[in-house]
Amino acid sequence: MGVRDEPARDGPRHAGLRGLYPFLYEAPPGGTGMEPAVFAGAARSSEEKAMQIVRLRQEMAELSCERIADCAEEMAARFAEGARLFTFGNGGSSTDAQEVATTFLSPCAGDGLPLPALSLTSDVAVVTALSNDVSFDVVFARQLAALGRAGDIALGLSTSGGSANVVRAFEEASRRGMLTVGLAGGQGGRLTELAETGVLDHLFVVPSSSVHRIQETQTTVYHVLWELVQHALEPWHRDGEAA
Amino acid sequence: MPVASMQQLAREAFARRQTAGVAVMRDAALITRAAADMAARFRAGGKLVVFGGGAAGTDAAHVAVEFMHPVIVGKAALPAVALSNDAATVAAIGSGDGPDETFAHQVRHWAGPADIAMGVCRDGRCSSVARALQTAHELGLLTVALTGALTGTASPAQALPAADHLIAVASADPRLVKEVHVTTYHLLWELVHVFLDQAGEGLT
Repeated sequence: MGVRDEPARDGPRHAGLRGLYPFLYEAPPGGTGMEPAVFAGAARSSEEKAMQIVRLRQEMAELSCERIADCAEEMAARFAEGARLFTFGNGGSSTDAQEVATTFLSPCAGDGLPLPALSLTSDVAVVTALSNDVSFDVVFARQLAALGRAGDIALGLSTSGGSANVVRAFEEASRRGMLTVGLAGGQGGRLTELAETGVLDHLFVVPSSSVHRIQETQTTVYHVLWELVQHALEPWHRDGEAA
Repeated sequence: MPVASMQQLAREAFARRQTAGVAVMRDAALITRAAADMAARFRAGGKLVVFGGGAAGTDAAHVAVEFMHPVIVGKAALPAVALSNDAATVAAIGSGDGPDETFAHQVRHWAGPADIAMGVCRDGRCSSVARALQTAHELGLLTVALTGALTGTASPAQALPAADHLIAVASADPRLVKEVHVTTYHLLWELVHVFLDQAGEGLT
């Protein structure tokens, strides 16, 4: 059962809101002329959403900690063999692809081992050239065909699981013998089919219908993956330093 | 590496998110007030310029696309620009006037008094973000700061005096701070539309 984006409700749990935030029930500073009730309703809605994401993260932990550990083990083994990580996604998920790449490549000083990672969304010349000359569906697949090699890792994000260019990228990555990791939401969309047919090695589906809550939970999933990969690589890193 | 230990680490990592997640609820009022002021600026024709230090550049890009191309069908596109996207500009300013000027320079030459400046920083030490907020404040922009834990001053507000709205996440883990920031700016976007609608329509 997924956590749904529920409408804000009045109830006993909100009875203390006026006590906690009395200003919400007064005229806003600067006198924008808004109804105090609008403020109160908005703050209450935000509280509800904040609670939803806390619950959704808990649910995701229960659903996927075991599989996140497995995935991190495999990613770490690949990195130890010289793998590079390629990441991709559209819109808000493109910023997540960039976040994953920079997290792996440039962890804060002393925070972890830098690992080779590249986001396929960052080069506007390549993305617009492929979109203009061929099709937007191939913007990631073509880059993987040129840059990827067997043993590398492909990590793609799609809140719906239905992005055609993400699907095409996984198909290309799988053909090339790359480890494939997908993050999706809702029912998982096309990515669920790819996991069933073995194109996707790992798929994490956030059980929510809210794009925002899905993105927020995916952020946690890839950060936890990063943390576990770093942990799994510690012995390898120590051996490397000793050699 | 024993598998059980990796699973345990995963569970612990998720558990560490609890406290910061719950804190967003406590910040609901701060977020709501920031959104109300942002909505007033948008209504008056202002645009949002957003910038993030280091990896928080990804947040700036996310905020810009959130406002420009809403995920909820029917919501109006609002003008927003991320100042960290143009690698040529960022590198040019960095090598010319120094990295601390990266966003302040762009605010000075691209933004106006009616606009909104939002700075994202995962700790309290992004001097490029702090300087841009200061510049924006002097120009008369509304200033909003999303930060990590601010230390070394008597109050968070003293660390970033130029911020009209300061939402600080009390964690020293930059990844955890990012996760809370994503929720925060999703809420800001949603509430801006609520206030633009005024009647409270758009609450989902």
